[in-house]
Amino acid sequence: MSVLDVLDRPDVISPGISACVGCSVELTLRTVMKVLGRNSVLAIPPGCMGGVGVVGWDKKSGAEIPVFFPLLTNTASMLSGLRLAYKRQGRDGIHVVAFAGDGASVDAGFQALSGAAERNDRIIYICYDNEGYMNTGYQRSGATPKGAWTSTTPYGKLQIKKDMPRIMADHRIPYVSTCSPAYMKDLVEKVEKAKRNKAGFSYLHVLNPCVGGWGFPPEESIEIARLSVKTRYFPLYEVVNGEYHITVDIPNPLPVSDYVSRLKKFSRTSEVALTEMQELIDQQWQELKALEQVGVNGA
Amino acid sequence: MSHVEVMTGNQAASTAACLARPDVIAAYPITPQSSVVEDISKAIAEGKLDALISEVESEHSAMSVLEGAALGEARTFSATSSQGLAFMYEPYFRASTLRLPIVMAIANREMISPQTLWASAQDSLSVRDAGWIQYYVENNQEILDTILQAFCVAEDKRVLLPINICYDGFYLSHMSERVDVPDQAQVDAFLPQCYKPDHIYLDPDRPMAVDPLTNGDLLMEYRQKHLEAQQRALTVIEEASEVFFNLFGRHWDGCVEAYKIDHNTKGAIITLGSMTGAAREAIDRLQSEGLPIGLIKIRVVRPFPKTELRELLSGIKAVGVVDRNVCFGWNTGIIYQEVLAAISGSPSIVHQPFIAGLGGEDITIEMFETAARQVVTLAQKKNGSRDQETIWLRSVSEEVHK
Repeated sequence: MSVLDVLDRPDVISPGISACVGCSVELTLRTVMKVLGRNSVLAIPPGCMGGVGVVGWDKKSGAEIPVFFPLLTNTASMLSGLRLAYKRQGRDGIHVVAFAGDGASVDAGFQALSGAAERNDRIIYICYDNEGYMNTGYQRSGATPKGAWTSTTPYGKLQIKKDMPRIMADHRIPYVSTCSPAYMKDLVEKVEKAKRNKAGFSYLHVLNPCVGGWGFPPEESIEIARLSVKTRYFPLYEVVNGEYHITVDIPNPLPVSDYVSRLKKFSRTSEVALTEMQELIDQQWQELKALEQVGVNGA
Repeated sequence: MSHVEVMTGNQAASTAACLARPDVIAAYPITPQSSVVEDISKAIAEGKLDALISEVESEHSAMSVLEGAALGEARTFSATSSQGLAFMYEPYFRASTLRLPIVMAIANREMISPQTLWASAQDSLSVRDAGWIQYYVENNQEILDTILQAFCVAEDKRVLLPINICYDGFYLSHMSERVDVPDQAQVDAFLPQCYKPDHIYLDPDRPMAVDPLTNGDLLMEYRQKHLEAQQRALTVIEEASEVFFNLFGRHWDGCVEAYKIDHNTKGAIITLGSMTGAAREAIDRLQSEGLPIGLIKIRVVRPFPKTELRELLSGIKAVGVVDRNVCFGWNTGIIYQEVLAAISGSPSIVHQPFIAGLGGEDITIEMFETAARQVVTLAQKKNGSRDQETIWLRSVSEEVHK
């Protein structure tokens, strides 16, 4: 199978949704659902994809598969219930899918998400991380990185970004990965793995640059996403049954300043802060390499 | 055939839930409800109940799991109390506005603060306007019977609403009583075989967008239909009560029960839940003294049975409402305000609010006698004021705490 074959599959997301020009989340959603196909139920909590009309009903907006708004706070637990209903009916082939922003995942929806992961309910949970509450006007979230401007951190966020993929991996669920819209082959393969995972919870964390909230020209979305990987700001890896594996190795990383300098949200970032950010990135990469060696179980 | 068991209110609730053959159960432990979820978990683990249970991390998720399951066409059940219900509020409201026929028992418990564990209907009455149907029951037999009736009413196509069966924490949840337990075949004959929705569902074979962003005009239509369904439920509840009586021989009087009220009755005490037992005793005593006082037990608070209540009060001069809860801002209890709204067109009725039994305090027969005598006095007074200050029925005088 090649990625191009997947991209030729029917698009179950309607053509008329109103995402911002250059939005990489829409591209991610369409691609993910091409992989997962029509035998799926899609939960879109309040957030960008809800706001642009993916939970629509007239086939001009929305989706051609069953789609619904969970609450911001209960995406995972509503899907847990759906999974149980289908299990009761012997309908194990249905993919129960969340496509949720970072606010609905790392903040308000975290308890429900952590609970569903701990129960190892068979859900495919995709977090599209644009590092803030972008749909409501670019407010800070737990996924906003240190130093970043948001409408509620006008002089830059004071705290570091919550490392959600690592937290989810520590639930010891069968499948966790990080994905980027700039690495489509890698992303498609990871969604395929989640699709094949019958053993329980799958969590995929996608870093999606946000044109309006981060401040860059719309045509640079994919380039920014690629830079986030090439600077090791957002490493691409997966954790399969506790085994860490970096899927896109970056042996010669670019300095994080190459990434930061492209984004208006970091325009107030000082040299000191930039050095700190580089140190954090280096440290996290070292940790990842170490985890890759030993596996999360210490095996 | 049915058999008799001695069981607590919580056991009556879990027994009824099991008999209703739910597909999915989700609940989170909280005093005084916990043994409901424990007993159901045990029944499933031992293979006595063929159902799936989600061991959720919170009440918020308990209700959310059930909503997902109901959208997946499952019959669902849960149980909770006070703070758990409060934490559940966000998905709780939505269960009714999505028109999902979830059935949930509530072992009523006072709301904190101060820190408390004991009975009061403050928890469920505080969410009476969240679109659910709410039953309040008097004893353990009524818990079991009403949970069975609730599934019938909730899934009725004229209703399609979630239902609470509320019973006083500890007074019923932990008290043992004789309960007649119907056998499975009897219950199977009473309840619909399964929940099969055609109004809202998530099914890849029948794609539907559930709850897209909705304009006000359409939202108003949904609300209007929701309110109409609540009103239709008054009839459906009575029907379910009748059908149940014909099959099981026990009658729970639908939405309102009148006790010892006839054309000579001048005053009435209105009660909710387990306090009704003591009230019956007080009414018996006072009637034997020749006092013209009777009792009305409100069994369903949502929808509020205003027409039936008005008819029962048509010859009554004074009514006293005993609330085991408070209505902040009105200096009365909540049911008093509900009754007041129902009888607003009857200017001849004098009404007296009472507050008693908060935080699990006992509401004694003597307190009901005090209340009933006050109501009789008001009934016999010529040109008395319609508005009476709330009387707090307390066993300990305030000076003790000074």
